[in-house]
Amino acid sequence: MSSFDIGLIGVAALVVLVFMGMRVFFAAAIVGTLGLVAIIGWESGLGMVGTIPHSKAVTYTLSVLPMFILIGFLAFHAGITESLFDAGRKWLGWLPGGLAVATVMAATGFAAVSGASTATAAVFARVAVPDMLKYGYSRQLAAGVVAAGGTLATLIPPSAILVIYAIIVEESVGALLIAGFLPGIVSALIYVALIVGMATVKPELGKPLRGFTWGQRMKSLPGTFPIFLVIIIIFTAMYEGWATPTEAGALGAAVVFVMAMIKGMRWGSLREALMETAKLSVMIFSIIWGVLVFVRFLGFAGLPDAFAKWVVALPYEPIYIVIGILLFYAVLGMFMDAIGMLLLTLPVVYPAVIGLGYDPIWFGIIVVKMAEICLITPPIGLNCFVVNGVRPDIPLNTVFKGVAPFFVADVATIAVLLAFPEIVTWLPTLMMGK
Amino acid sequence: MQTHTPPIPPDAPVGLVLADKWLSKVEDAFALLAALCIFGLMLLGITQVLGRQLFDMPVPGYIDFVELSMVTFAFLAVAYCQRLGGHVRMDLFVRLVHGRTRWLLEFVTTVAPTLLVMVLIYYGWTHFMRAYEFGDSTIDMEIPTWPSKIVVPISFVVLFLRLTIQAIGYGRLLIHPDAAPVAVPMILTEKDIAEKEIEDSLGGDRS
Repeated sequence: MSSFDIGLIGVAALVVLVFMGMRVFFAAAIVGTLGLVAIIGWESGLGMVGTIPHSKAVTYTLSVLPMFILIGFLAFHAGITESLFDAGRKWLGWLPGGLAVATVMAATGFAAVSGASTATAAVFARVAVPDMLKYGYSRQLAAGVVAAGGTLATLIPPSAILVIYAIIVEESVGALLIAGFLPGIVSALIYVALIVGMATVKPELGKPLRGFTWGQRMKSLPGTFPIFLVIIIIFTAMYEGWATPTEAGALGAAVVFVMAMIKGMRWGSLREALMETAKLSVMIFSIIWGVLVFVRFLGFAGLPDAFAKWVVALPYEPIYIVIGILLFYAVLGMFMDAIGMLLLTLPVVYPAVIGLGYDPIWFGIIVVKMAEICLITPPIGLNCFVVNGVRPDIPLNTVFKGVAPFFVADVATIAVLLAFPEIVTWLPTLMMGK
Repeated sequence: MQTHTPPIPPDAPVGLVLADKWLSKVEDAFALLAALCIFGLMLLGITQVLGRQLFDMPVPGYIDFVELSMVTFAFLAVAYCQRLGGHVRMDLFVRLVHGRTRWLLEFVTTVAPTLLVMVLIYYGWTHFMRAYEFGDSTIDMEIPTWPSKIVVPISFVVLFLRLTIQAIGYGRLLIHPDAAPVAVPMILTEKDIAEKEIEDSLGGDRS
């Protein structure tokens, strides 16, 4: 049996184990180990596998992950969401559907300190939904905007998933982080346009909120400063290069930590935030080394190259192939966590997409946006469950109905990013010459 | 996620419950150590940036320190995360099946990793022994690498014990499919996960 055949059997075995419900990092490591043993023999195969966890995990670039995760968990203690929503409603409330617009913009701002969609949806369900209902907004719109707004968190830096993508495909972490910024803003603006459009046609969805003085508006700003501080730290660090992503992450975490202390965070909450950070970090590190064992095996089997050659030789326009790959992700994303999905598939899919001539950074952003859409679509649509969990008075199907227009908006965003890849590549090219 | 651990049923095997309880204490301690190291990494990062930018005095061997300390949060909490069911998996099919079929799936997908982890302990240990015997050290600061390398097999020993307990837990359910689950992570529904996320996001409101 050739190495290539062993590679194919390995991929099939991995699919079976994952479907059986084995933890992804175990499934990848087991198949990778057995495959390496089959190709290069017991002693060298096992010896190689034994060194991978330590040598692959202990890489300076990866140390940014716990920092970004920590920022996210601490951010919930820093009272930033209330300030952001308050500023949003005072500055943007006058628009048709103004409170919903304010929610989108506040979620966009919060995304700058959080990379977690579902938790962002949860916190805005508590902060923004009561206010929208108080002013007679439609329950569908209120629930939909909160569930969809949460998904903005992953594109706008700091985003752990973009860091993971960068590391797996060996691209610059800084370039990926910066690249996510504009598409995140574009997504948000498309949401805003959608809300304003819907509320103009059907004013009963949500009426404008007027009557704030400039003084009130100005007063609402200071509470949001930590957000801008974190954005400035991360951006200038990437641009000027005065700090590595890890160091910028450490500074960002410190800013949010100080904010949380001022808001009266106690040791119990800090301990919990740190423990959650440790749990999520070890989960990500485990899946990274597990998948790297599998990737080593795939490399020996020559599978990624063969797949890339096959895809490039397909008699279709590259754009249709990419759309096909994106649809595959849309289906897979309904059943699997985004991080696991990307790590498992990228080693094979990525060389093919690059072979078709697409930009690696652009593809990363598109794929992550795709994974986010799955958070608001049935059957899993975790963000919708979260909103329903916070507001049991809004039935689940009302939430799903509410996010439907936002799903359409997301598809439009993907189309825009496909048509104008410059939205993704312009900023990293400008800032880092990439 | 401890809140999702079901209450211990009266007919639960005492040995399993005790083993679970004692190992949980070790896992909690390891996870707390990892958590504190993350906080330490934050402090070290600030010191490094401020030291370098303001006083032109970077922390000597900063990258070496960071890399060697990364084993703490990359590995120490691995068993803790396993106990809480925190590692990513696709539970689509496991949820569809019930009774003995479900426990069989869970049993198989727990026993196979147990074997893998045994291999990883052995080769992780030899990886450490090589570094120890040859006095391997980092290039920049010449910090010995073995204390970092030994963390991997140690963490995997705890993971091995956790997987063994879970395998016994699932094995017990395989024999008595109707018994109350003990020492195994629960399968969470979307509703449960949503509740968990909401709990996380409560932040300062809780204290």
